[in-house]
Order: sequence, then C-alpha cells, then structure tokens
Amino acid sequence: MIDSHFDIIVVGGGHAGSEAAAAAARMGAKTLLITMSLEAIGRMSCNPAIGGIGKGQIAREIDALGGLMGHATDESGLQFRMLNRSKGPAVWSPRAQCDRFMYAAAVRRMLEAEPNLYMRSDMVVDLETKGDRISGVVTQLGQRISAGAVILTSGTFMNGQIHIGDMSYGGGRMGEGASRGLTGALNNLGFESGRLKTGTPPRLDGRTINYDLLEEQKGDSDPAPFSYMTDRLPSKQLSCWITFTDESVHDVLRTGFDRSPMFVGRIQGTGPRYCPSIEDKIDRFADKDRHQIFLEPEGWNTHEVYVNGFSTSLPEEVQERAIRGIKGLEDVHILRPGYAIEYDYFQPYQLRYSLETKLVNGLFFAGQINGTTGYEEAGAQGLVAGTNAARYVKGEEQLILKRSDAYIGVLIDDLVAKGTEEPYRMFTSRAEHRMMLRQDNADQRLTEMGASIGLVSDERLERMHRRSQARRILTEAVRSTSVSPEQVNPFLASLDSAPVRQSDRIAKVALRPEVSLSSLLSATGFQALIPPIEGLESIEDMVEIDLKYEGYVERERGLIEKMEQFESKELPVDLDYHAIHNITIEAREKLHRIRPQNLGQASRISGVSPSDVSVLMVMIKSGRFPRMASNAS
Amino acid sequence: MTVPAGDSVQDTIVARATPRGASALSIVRLSGPDAIALVDGVFAARDLSEQDSHTAHVGYIGRENAWIDQVVCTLFKAPNTATGEDIVEISCHGGDVASDAVVRLMVAQGARMAEPGEFTLRAFMNGKVDLAQAEAIGELIHAQSQRAGRISLAHLRGRFSDELGQIREDLIQLVSLLELELDFGEEDVAFADRARLVSLLDAAATRLDAMTGSFRFGQALHEGVRIVIVGKPNAGKSTLMNALLGFDRVIVSDVPGTTRDEIESHLEYEGVRFTFVDTAGRRETHDAIEAEGVRRSEEAELGADLILHLIDLTRPEDVSASSSDGLPRLRVGNKLDLVAGPSAASDFSSKVDVAISAEAMRVGSESVDELMARIFEATVGSVGQAEEHQVVTSQRQQEHIRAASVAIQRVRSVMESGGSGDMISSDVREVVDEIGAVTGEITNEDILDRIFSQFCIGK
Repeated sequence: MIDSHFDIIVVGGGHAGSEAAAAAARMGAKTLLITMSLEAIGRMSCNPAIGGIGKGQIAREIDALGGLMGHATDESGLQFRMLNRSKGPAVWSPRAQCDRFMYAAAVRRMLEAEPNLYMRSDMVVDLETKGDRISGVVTQLGQRISAGAVILTSGTFMNGQIHIGDMSYGGGRMGEGASRGLTGALNNLGFESGRLKTGTPPRLDGRTINYDLLEEQKGDSDPAPFSYMTDRLPSKQLSCWITFTDESVHDVLRTGFDRSPMFVGRIQGTGPRYCPSIEDKIDRFADKDRHQIFLEPEGWNTHEVYVNGFSTSLPEEVQERAIRGIKGLEDVHILRPGYAIEYDYFQPYQLRYSLETKLVNGLFFAGQINGTTGYEEAGAQGLVAGTNAARYVKGEEQLILKRSDAYIGVLIDDLVAKGTEEPYRMFTSRAEHRMMLRQDNADQRLTEMGASIGLVSDERLERMHRRSQARRILTEAVRSTSVSPEQVNPFLASLDSAPVRQSDRIAKVALRPEVSLSSLLSATGFQALIPPIEGLESIEDMVEIDLKYEGYVERERGLIEKMEQFESKELPVDLDYHAIHNITIEAREKLHRIRPQNLGQASRISGVSPSDVSVLMVMIKSGRFPRMASNAS
Repeated sequence: MTVPAGDSVQDTIVARATPRGASALSIVRLSGPDAIALVDGVFAARDLSEQDSHTAHVGYIGRENAWIDQVVCTLFKAPNTATGEDIVEISCHGGDVASDAVVRLMVAQGARMAEPGEFTLRAFMNGKVDLAQAEAIGELIHAQSQRAGRISLAHLRGRFSDELGQIREDLIQLVSLLELELDFGEEDVAFADRARLVSLLDAAATRLDAMTGSFRFGQALHEGVRIVIVGKPNAGKSTLMNALLGFDRVIVSDVPGTTRDEIESHLEYEGVRFTFVDTAGRRETHDAIEAEGVRRSEEAELGADLILHLIDLTRPEDVSASSSDGLPRLRVGNKLDLVAGPSAASDFSSKVDVAISAEAMRVGSESVDELMARIFEATVGSVGQAEEHQVVTSQRQQEHIRAASVAIQRVRSVMESGGSGDMISSDVREVVDEIGAVTGEITNEDILDRIFSQFCIGK
C-alpha cells in the first residue's frame, strides 16, 4: 500500500530537488522525492565541477546552511582550485572538479540518511489544488498523492527537446525521456511559461588524447574545502588540460552552420549569453582567432573527458571533424556528442521571495524551472524552497535572505524582482555587497540563521562559534602584538616590500597588499598567536581579509543602511501603475506585472529608471496615489 | 478598473508667483486640471477654455459688482507647460492687495494653496525636469544677481547634468571592464587596460576639480559677497565706500566718529552682488552710542567674506600695528599722497596690500577700479564666463563632487599600492554613485527632501 499523504512532495532529484528534499526532511517534514529515475539523483548533467566565480560563493553558502553540495564536492573532488587568487579576496572563488559518479553517489547516500525522506521513481503529470492552495500531485502511474506543499524542480525535463544538427527528439537529458503534462497543468492554473535553451559539449575518450601537446593545469597545492565541516580532502589531485581552437577549426565548424538548429531557427529558446556554444562564439566574435578549451576529467576511474568551452549542437560529423582539428585531439574518439536542449521555464516574477508561487499557495519552484543555469544556483533555490515549504506546512514565517545577507539573497531577488529572459547565472558583480559576501565568511553570515530554524546541526553551529571565537582572538592578538624590524624586515625584503624602521603592530604590516598574514606570522615566529582549531578553514586568511577590507566593509554597511530606506517603503498592493502617467510606459507595464513589494525591489527592475523611482517615492510620501478598484465595488 | 484619480492626486493649486512688497506687477499662478475652469468662473472676458494655449487675455477678475482688479490672464494648456498641467498666470497690478484678493478668490473657487516647492514637484512628477534641474529652479528663485540667474538657467537646460553624465558614463564603462576581469578571470578575455583606466580617472578628476573650484564662485554668485570695511576712526572708510559704490550713501565728515552704525550698501560688479558694510571707526571712546557701534562692527567682521582694512598711512603707529590675523583681509593704505617725505608705496608694501592716495579716493578713479578688481579676485576668483556651465552652486552638489574626487584619489592610491581589482572597482563605483547623486541618476530620500524643501511657494 502506497502512502497517500506527505507534508511535502519534491518533484525532481537534481541539484535543486536534492537540496529541497534534504532541507525539508531535516526540518522535520515528512517528505517524498519523486523522480523519473532514482539512478539519476544528484547527477552532474553538464560539467563535472562545482563552484567557480560567483558560484563557489553560493556553494559555500549552501554548506553554511547545512546543505549537501559542499559535502558531496569535498568527497568527490579530484581537483581543487581557488580562482581569482590574484584579484582580491572578495572575488576569490573556490572551484572543484569532481568525480561525477562519486558526487551523485554522495548525494544519494546523504538523502537516504534522512529519516523523514522517502523516494519514489515515477513521473508527476498533474497537480491538484483546493481553492488557492496546492493539495497534491498525480503521477503517470495513476497515483494521487496528497501533500501540504509541492516543490517543482523539473530542470531541463519539462517538454525537453534535444537537438543535434538536423536531428531533434524529445528528451530531458541524453538517453532520458522528457516529462510531459506539467506545463499544461501549470498553464491551466494561470502560470505564464517560456522556453529556454542550454547546451553541452562532447565527451571524449581520454586514452585518445595526446596530453603531451597540452598545457597542464594543476590543482592548488593547499586545496581549500567547500564544506566548513570537512577535516580532510583527497590527498591526490588530477590535472585539467588547456588547448585552443584555431581558424581552421572555426572553418570546419562554419561548414555545419546551415544545419545548426540554432542558426536555422529550429531552436526558439534563448540560450545562456555567458556560456555560449562554440558556434555562437565564432559567429559573434568573428575577429577572435582562437578560443580556449579546458579538458576536464570526469572521474578517478573513467577515461571520460569533458570538453569545457566547446558546447555545440552542430551535426555530429562536423563536431568530430572540428574537434580533431584541435591541438592534442587529432586522433580523439568521441564518447558522446554535444547537444542543445530546449525546455520550459516559468518567469520567476511569478514567485514570492520565499520561492512560493504567487498564484498557488504551497506550490514552490526551484532551479532551472525559474530560468537559472548552474548546479549552485539550482541547489541554493532548492535549499530555500525546501526550507520554506517546511515552514509553510508548519505555519511559520518564511525565510527570506536579503541581498546584503548572501549571494542566495541576490539570486532570488534578481529573479523575483526582474524575471529573466535568458538562463541566469551568478557573477560576483551582481552582488553589490560582495566585499561582505565572501566565500571565507559564509558560515559567519548564515549558520546562526540556519540554526535558529532547525536547518543546521548543533555540531555545525558549535564549529562556527569556535571559528568566530578564534577569529576574535587572532584579530585582537595581531592588533596588540608588535614585530621588530629585525623580525620582519628579512620577510618584507623577500617580497620586495619596504622595510619598517621601528617596531610595528602585526595588523598594520598585514595591511600591505603584498603581505599575507599567514606567511607573515610564520616568517616572524608568531604562529603561536593562531588559536588551534579543527577543520581545514584558515582563520588567518579570514582575519587578514577583515583587516584589509575594514574600510570597504564599513562603507558597504553604510550603503546597506541607505538601501534599507527603500526596502522599508512598502508599495501599496492596490497601487494602479497604469494610472501613473508620469512614469514611462515600460515602467508602468513592468511594475504592473511584477507588483514589487517595496521601493527597493521596484528600483531594481530593469526598465524602471531612477526618476520613475523618485516619482513613486514622492507619491508614497505624499500618500497620494491612484488605487485599483477593488473587485467588490 | 481604475478609480478616477480624484482630488487627492491631481487637484489644482494656486500661489503668488512674485515676491511680496511693492512692485509693478504681481502674478498669481494656478496649475492643475481645473485651473482654466476655476479662472473662467471669475474672469469677465472671453471664455478661456476656448482660447489657444500660450495666449494672453485682458479682463476684470472678481465677482459681479465686486471686481478686484483688471488683470492679464496668460493661458498654458497641458502638456506643454512648465508643470505639465494646465496653467493660468494672472498678472495683477502691483502690491499685495490685489494679488492677495485674487489668491483668496481662487481658493474660494476650489483651488488649494500650493505647498512650498509644489509647482516644481509637479514639473518633476510629470517628467518636465530632472532632479538637477529641479534643484536649479530653486536656485533661480533665490538667485541674487543676473549672472547667478544665467547659471541656474544653464542648469535648467541640463548642461550641468549632461557634462556630469558623460563623466559617469565613462566610468561605468570602466567599471564594466574591471568587472569583466573579475568575473571572467579564468577565461580568455581582454583585461581592463590600466593605462586607459588611469587616463579616464585623470580626465574625470580634472573636470571634477574644475567644478569643485567653481563652488566658491558659484556660492559668491548665489549668496553674494560680504565686504566689511574696518579701520581707525577717520581713516576714510566712508569715503572709500562712497567711492566704490559711486554715490554718497554715507555721511562723510572729518570729525572722527561720524559713522555710528554699520551701513550696508549693495553693488553688482561683474554680475556678482557685493554688500559693503561700513563700520564705526575703531577707537576707545566714552561716547556710549559710539561704543555700541564699535562693538557691533567687531561682530560684523566675523560674517565677512573679506575684511577691507583701511589704514591711515600718515599715522605711523597705525601702520606698524597692521597685521594679518587669519581672517580674509585686504589691507588698504590711504592718504599715500599725504605722507610726509619722499616715501613711495613700496615703503609700505610689507604692511599694506594696496596703497591709495587720498586724492584718488573718488568714484571712477583708476586706483578705485583697481581696488575693486582686487576685491573681486580675492573673493570670487577668476572663473571666466565660458566656464559658467560648470559652476557648482549647491552645497549638496558640492558635497557629492568632493566625495567623488576623494574616491578618485583613493582609486589612484589603491592602484599605486598594488591593491586588488575588487577594491579598485568598489572605489570607482563610489565615484559613479556620488556623481549619480548629483545628476539624479541615483535617488535617495534625503536628496528629494532637501531639494523640495528649499522652494518658496509659487514656483
């Protein structure tokens, strides 16, 4: 006999679905994860890597809130690199290449360890509602399962359509069928759907790659973990390899343009501007005579290799000829061709900040269904949706992260306030408070909040507290301890840094851009100032960044206060934007459609200009604004 | 469905548009959807609602057998008006009686007294002016001289906003290159050219510096310049003041202590309004009235943009006592021609800034003209008319421009010390934000409040 009621049903087992199910279950909700294929849970459909610039920060935040991603990455990582090392700690971004089989296995194992979490292999084809709230789902096998809340994380599966050259067929991933029916059900409930496109590159047989001709990219010698809980990382790392396309490769690719599903218009969906296909790159940047290619291992025990930078949907034979024109790949064997995939998404301005839909109470969306791209973006939304679904079922207040709290807050605010017309990915430049929202301090920013709502284990909270304490102790110590010229000048000379004339506080010497606190302490014999602490996280780095960024962080706090001024100005729910004639027509339409909750949100809608915001502000202050007629009158 | 906007959104406002007091004309202005109808109800001439926009009509205003005045009503129909709404301007005869009565009449008809700044607020709300322009309107109202008015007009036309906007655009372009570097560091992208970054910052700094430097000039234009004339009794202060002003405003006698009160007179010179204050001569006195005058003159000195310190060169003890004291001070030696012996002006050069003969202390003499030029230079500076559109006239703008300049300095020093891209970007963003606050590209409540609170009713 099948259980017929759950507190929460999560539809989909990808990065969004896994995080959503784990979070909901951890918070005590009886949760069912329904996925078309249990074998595909936690699958890395595209590149075998977690993190990257802007995305690594999100992965760290997911971990700070007790999510799965950091653990799975540390467990399956085969190469760890901190990107942007030379560009300032605010943009340092961890990235790890992973064994994608181990990654999925780790996610599956963690889900199975949740006592409140159940899984089932089936396909959800319809939704059931009672009044304005969700009441359950209907599956392909005819099951009706009721639930207090439902989270949809359909990824690329809803009406997924795969394209390779002239070939086109329905599917959610290569070798997996598409899901049908849900889009229609949602349209019937009043949701507006759209079409997006993404792509993936060919996978190669590593035995046929001539690595001698390629440039090697090694992992960091002191790898940093993704999870604040990790005490040990794999002792060995694998390398990635760099090569380049050239004009002759581009010429070969161009021969397939007349059969490119994108160029001939068979693909309608908009693709990610920041992760373009190789044909898009040579078409749009015709003056560039080469493009960089990273060859990334897919695992410890496989010779499968991912060709990062070569996403394509050109005909298979063109892919093969082109790829064999690349240095080091002359005799390469393709395991699987690249392809493009189109899928349904729902404009995220149809959501509240909790990721609950505005139209149907108790129905949440997370991941690519909201127009995002990337595992980290998906996982973050899953975590928030799972948390809020659990809180919704219990009748508790929703968790809303602000732009000044986390990249996750930036992500959700961007989606909800603006909607998106192309697959949305995170960048550090989207976060106006990135000096504060760093990968090193995600736990300090979020773990306490997570603990207060039952998302985070006591063990994690205690570890965070020990780190905070160590941070305070070390900060105090370097501010009060001086180094003499004899102690520090040889070290400074080795860095080409000017010598000090008299004893100076360690904190002051560490302010120099070229000086790292960690090497300063070890070079001057002050290592004992560092409080002993478990884990792999560096307290010295965090304190050094605190010192160097003090002024910037201070200023950002000021900006946040200014922004609060706008965030606290609620826009009346019955404000009739169409009757405000002194703002642009574009602004009127967007404001009407999105119905921002406050002035801050309004100000971030593209097409709403500062002068439009000023007009709204003056209206609110004066209390004179046009109202929509209520339905009753 | 939309509820009609109703009174709460678009009522018709009225206010006197010219200052109170004696004048040839006094203008009452209405703006709003009912402006024309309200006037029509009390205007015994043609039906204004049937007349073309931008036309003027003569007639009596008031009620039957209780006419207030014969007036000219000028009609401006929406949307091409200053506020974007229907406007009627009623020109009454001068003085307050008629115009007050007309305002009362219009309120009785259903218009509402405008709040300070409300006409400009409406212009802003209707997209007729941006924030910098709204601010300029406030200044135009307060402009003390012709030249100040001209500068405010330039702001009003948006030149100021345009120029700053260009600087800001350049910097935003630069920030986006920096961001590209930060967000795509792993990829094969072109990096932001540091040399170009430096040259853009230099260009921005030059323009901002010019604007900062012009603040003093702008302030002088708007607030006027206050010159306090001090000196021992009978040093010739009143004579000097008369010579500068060109008429006998001050009673002159050679009995020391003739001037017992400060006397203020105004002069517009090179488009700037100068206020000269003649103080009672400084000396020990037993005359109670005069003592009070001396005390007051000491206070007046404190409010001066420049103290014109007149020294009688024939009195060696006064000459040797002359010293600078940190106050803005121009020391003028008088009676050079009466100094005994073959002394020349150069003998006094360490003690006074300018030496004039008693004979030359008269209107239009070369020496007095030169002195006036020195005064102008010392107080207003030498910003030429060609740069007028750059003149920064409000304290608020000045604060933001100064903050922008400071942030540019910081970018430079961060770059020189090898600071990282995220720091540089943050500092450049601050420059962009500060400039945006000046041009209205960035809004916050303080700016709006500050701008709209400075208006007087009627504009």
